[in-house]
Amino acid sequence: MRWQKGIVAVCLALISLNVGQISQAADDQRAQEIVDGVARLFTSKSTTATVDMQITKEDLQRKITMQFWSVDESNILIRIRSPQEDAGTAILKVGGKIWYYLPKANRTVKIPTSMMMSPWMGSDFTLNDLVKQSRLTNDYVIATSFNGLRDGVAMSEYTLTPKPAAVVVWGKITLEVRKADRMPVLQRYYDEDGRLVRELTFSEYKTVSGRLIPTRLVMRPMGQAVEQTTITYEKINFDEPISEETFSRKNLKQ
Amino acid sequence: MSGRLLRLAWRNLWRNPRRTLITMVAIGLGYAMLLFVACLMAGLRHQMVESGTDLVLSDAEVHAPNYYPDRPTSQTLGERDGTDVSALINAIAADPRVAAASPRVYGYGLVSATHESAGAELLGVVPDQEQKITVLQSRMVKGSYLTGRIAKSVVMGDKLATTIGVEVGSEIVLLTPAADGSTGNDLYTVVGMFHTGLDAMDRNLVLMPLASLQELLRLPPGRIHEVGIKLLDSDITAATKTAAALEVQLSKSFPVRVRAWPELAPELADYVQFNRRVTFILFLIFFLLAVMGIVNTMLMAIVARTRELGMLLAVGMRPVQLVGLIVAEAAILAGGSLVLGAALGSPVLWYLQVHGLYLGGSRGAISLGGVVVGPLWYGRQDFTAYTQAALGLAVIAVVSALYPALRAARFRPAEALRKV
Repeated sequence: MRWQKGIVAVCLALISLNVGQISQAADDQRAQEIVDGVARLFTSKSTTATVDMQITKEDLQRKITMQFWSVDESNILIRIRSPQEDAGTAILKVGGKIWYYLPKANRTVKIPTSMMMSPWMGSDFTLNDLVKQSRLTNDYVIATSFNGLRDGVAMSEYTLTPKPAAVVVWGKITLEVRKADRMPVLQRYYDEDGRLVRELTFSEYKTVSGRLIPTRLVMRPMGQAVEQTTITYEKINFDEPISEETFSRKNLKQ
Repeated sequence: MSGRLLRLAWRNLWRNPRRTLITMVAIGLGYAMLLFVACLMAGLRHQMVESGTDLVLSDAEVHAPNYYPDRPTSQTLGERDGTDVSALINAIAADPRVAAASPRVYGYGLVSATHESAGAELLGVVPDQEQKITVLQSRMVKGSYLTGRIAKSVVMGDKLATTIGVEVGSEIVLLTPAADGSTGNDLYTVVGMFHTGLDAMDRNLVLMPLASLQELLRLPPGRIHEVGIKLLDSDITAATKTAAALEVQLSKSFPVRVRAWPELAPELADYVQFNRRVTFILFLIFFLLAVMGIVNTMLMAIVARTRELGMLLAVGMRPVQLVGLIVAEAAILAGGSLVLGAALGSPVLWYLQVHGLYLGGSRGAISLGGVVVGPLWYGRQDFTAYTQAALGLAVIAVVSALYPALRAARFRPAEALRKV
């Protein structure tokens, strides 16, 4: 009789273990979905946007206005409208390659991947930040690192660590998301030694074309008192058809 | 008394001319050998420093305090207001230790040809002045060096040119983050390519007229990043001292840092210090060899004269006088030998400095630890080492005579006379 009880106990343990695993897998799935959702906040089948970029540095204030066209994330065109010095410059991402149109030299130049990680237009964003957001879930393993109230708001925090084979710059990324509407609040980037390098804060959530998005993104590099770059979405349209020709190299020159 | 002693010493030396000459040749050859070694070692050191400092790095560099080593484009001399460049250059060139000075602007960015692009360091120079402090113009393999005439012209390393597929006459686009945050871009013509043997330069460096780079970076003409200085004496200690003195002098006008090459290229300075230690050990070995020859000859020369010295004591010379006599002989002998050695050595030293030693090797210059060493090993006159060697040998000659002299002074005349 006693050994039968034992078997039942073992069976129960096995079952509960299994259930635990299943719920763990479901959690991972959810985390994956939420992070993916944040990465794809601004992408749709076809997106057009007008974006302001305000750069503040110790000795420099600059505001760049640009227009943005994208189809999924594979084709992207950015056209700079102001200031005067950079107006007409266009950046095209198509087929995994990046092209720059330079109005002063009147030439189109291919940008090597090495340049994707350097500060873009004197800002705290890199070209990579602007055109490659959605690779987060491909390159990183996602774990839920916090669940609960922060400043009275129910939040979840996810920690992203690079997959062994992934070629990435960050050693770790943490992402804080509001539980209620899955809106991102704060994204922190750490280097390989675990030091905080920069911080991206999201705010001014608005519903645009039926979608809730943060329209203000502030990037702050650590160790600088005044330096920061603010991106503001002035206009954004989702799922409005864009013609194929928009993303041709011929169209770069305008 | 001492005049008589010297006369006696001189006469003694020529009493046996053959013995004296043999001793002189022994010391003289020893000295010539030391001169040869010192000259070659000084030459090697100099060549290392020169080849390290004559391409882009110069003997000393003047920067704004926060410029080096990060080289942010905004940190120009005199900060945002810039500086009176020609007045600054004149103030530097006025120092008697400075051979020449040249203003420079640095940038980095993308060099793009029709099909390929590559990152590069951009260096803006005033071609006429730059040629006085560096020798890049002598490393051109295709086309020509920059002239002041074509504004939007560049020269680049041959490997960079191959990477992006350009020839002399090709057009390239330069793309760079400018000082005002905008993206500087413009078209330029490749007028020449250089090959230095240093990969870092041949793959990465683009040289262009100063004003062109200032325009690309949106810097006004008064804003430069650096003044490169060529010093008359680029030796490790001399360069450091001169840089410190210049910094004090220039700081009266506005804050600057003057860094000598040992601070700019610490690995080169380490290498030179290492070489200096090796030289010292090598020199010491040669010195000991010379000393052994001298001690031996002097000892034998005096031991052979036991009978003669005993005679002097017997006729009433005081032991102190005897020692004085022998020391005087040794001193005259040493002096003569050193003159002989210098006479024998100087044509060799001249040859080493002018023609150099051919070291062989079919591929010409090789690069070693960031330094290009040529197939010819040139000597260089190191008068400090020559003087030290001469003093050292003279002292050794006198001391090695002193020991047998002191022994001789204790002779009992009767016993000494009995010796053959």
